[in-house]
Amino acid sequence: MSDHQTSLNRRQLLAAGAALGVGALAAPHVSRAQEAATLRITGWGGKWGQIMSSDLIPAFEKEYKCKVVTDTALPFLPKLQASPRSAPIYDVLHTNSNEQWAAVEMGLVEPKIDAKQVPNLADVYPYAVSDKIVGVSIFTSAIGLGMRTDKDYPAVTSWKDFWDARYSGARGGYVIPVNSLGQAFLTLCGALYGKGYTDLDAAYGALEKIKPIKLVDFTGAMEKMLLSSEVGICVIHDSGVYRYYDDKPPTTFVAPKEGVLALEQVLSITPGSKVKELANAYVNYMLSLPVQKKLAQSVWYSPTNKTVVLDEPYASRLLTTPEKVSSLIQVDWKWYNAHKDAIDSRVNRIFRG
Amino acid sequence: MLSIKIGRFAYLAANWAVLIFLLLPIAIIFVFALNPTPYIEFPPVGVSLKWFDKFFASSQFMSALLLSLEVAALTTVAATVLGASAALGIARGNVPGSRAITAIMLSPLMLPAILTGLALFQTYVLMDVGRPLWGLVVGHCLVTVPYVVRTTLAVLHNFDLRLEEAARNLGASPQRTFFEITLPLIKPGVIAGGIFAFIVSFDQFPVSLFLVSPGQETLPITLFNYLKYDLDGTIGAASVVSILLAALVVIGLDRTVGLRSYVKL
Repeated sequence: MSDHQTSLNRRQLLAAGAALGVGALAAPHVSRAQEAATLRITGWGGKWGQIMSSDLIPAFEKEYKCKVVTDTALPFLPKLQASPRSAPIYDVLHTNSNEQWAAVEMGLVEPKIDAKQVPNLADVYPYAVSDKIVGVSIFTSAIGLGMRTDKDYPAVTSWKDFWDARYSGARGGYVIPVNSLGQAFLTLCGALYGKGYTDLDAAYGALEKIKPIKLVDFTGAMEKMLLSSEVGICVIHDSGVYRYYDDKPPTTFVAPKEGVLALEQVLSITPGSKVKELANAYVNYMLSLPVQKKLAQSVWYSPTNKTVVLDEPYASRLLTTPEKVSSLIQVDWKWYNAHKDAIDSRVNRIFRG
Repeated sequence: MLSIKIGRFAYLAANWAVLIFLLLPIAIIFVFALNPTPYIEFPPVGVSLKWFDKFFASSQFMSALLLSLEVAALTTVAATVLGASAALGIARGNVPGSRAITAIMLSPLMLPAILTGLALFQTYVLMDVGRPLWGLVVGHCLVTVPYVVRTTLAVLHNFDLRLEEAARNLGASPQRTFFEITLPLIKPGVIAGGIFAFIVSFDQFPVSLFLVSPGQETLPITLFNYLKYDLDGTIGAASVVSILLAALVVIGLDRTVGLRSYVKL
């Protein structure tokens, strides 16, 4: 081999270097293009996360020959907000309803799911796609009252019993500015003691009257407070009581006669998603009968697909019939988010003392 | 004489009060970790290691622990090299505006770390590099380098330059002078900074919050998410392991390089 064939001149060397540089920069994009389609979603941790990662996500990946990347590290909304609209960090956003409304107001998610792309949407209860919902609610918990049964408390039937003087110091609630259960409860206070769910003055007055009350910020902390008897009565979602069903602790869930507040698990799709077909398929999958039954019976969430038939003891306790579902009170999160700053400021003043 | 005794007693009492104030939260964590109930109960109803079993049996916690150790180790090395070099440059380099440079080097400590995390996250998204491990290490370096700079500068402040001059006069090369004179003398500051870097990185939450990638979460982030969904003694067990690991690092360094000299800082 001659020198002429093996040696590179300066120009060739520069060209080769440039090609290598471009190749190195483009490599992630090229390799990404060659990979199976990737669906990026958000999701919960805990038992929900375990079932999703061990059973449901692998089954979806196998069926649709794709890869699903689940982000379970909160907060989801600021991350989505920080990513470009044309290349969002998530394809499907799973949050509670209040955050979905904040997301849709910022144009981060699409307001509705296309029923043509998601056939299982035809089987959901109307509340799951109502005008109070962005995207679709895939599961719902009922927010009611949790009680200790070993305290000789009288039977509770109404939300107003929460204000009974005998529970002074034994009540449990949430830090309203950071917890959606607390926020939902505030709107209910307006309806119980005022002209309606948006009667803030009545709500503030009612909140003043439930002091002293123990407040928690994490939803999951309330069930521990109830289990440890730190509170005797509290605002809680039914799953937080029912998940200890097998352990038979001295606690019970009460659905007050005025109705239960809805704590919806909502899915929506981002407008800039590059895998919309897959995103719709995922939403459809989450509404399918086997997935709805599996998750409902694992984490005690009420399925929104009305054709799901649950086993006992789930069927009799969760919202599984039109009659039970009619007791759900959906919060107007669009209205709430618009007033959130003022509400936070006032509520902080109420509970600061 | 009596007033001296009273003063001494008050001084000791104040010290004990501070010590108890610092150690009480750790004691509560230990009680929570060893209590068999899935919530904090006082007085404890018994002693159980079941939360430690759950912690060590959880692949999620174990991978988070290993990732935290990996990130902390990489951060410690990078932050120590960068911070010590920067401190040397500032102290010795006759750099114009060295005071301003020092202030800039320490500025990440002034900024809320959550904003540092958010800004880096946005940068990575714009660069389209995702959320790689090196990105997390860079984030941790940003908030740990200032500690190394500060502790190394403190040592350099009292450094006797004549020792280096003597070595050079005796024929030592700049490299030999650095490794045999300068480095041993500034070692207490560098190691102290390294320890800070390790502990700050290992416990780092706000910067990691935005930079961890899905499925690859550090221990503090995993604990935070666990807290939201499954508040039980596993959190206590993880915290105990975390505290013991940090203590082990300090003890290990004491045995290998000796920490007593840092008291001079």
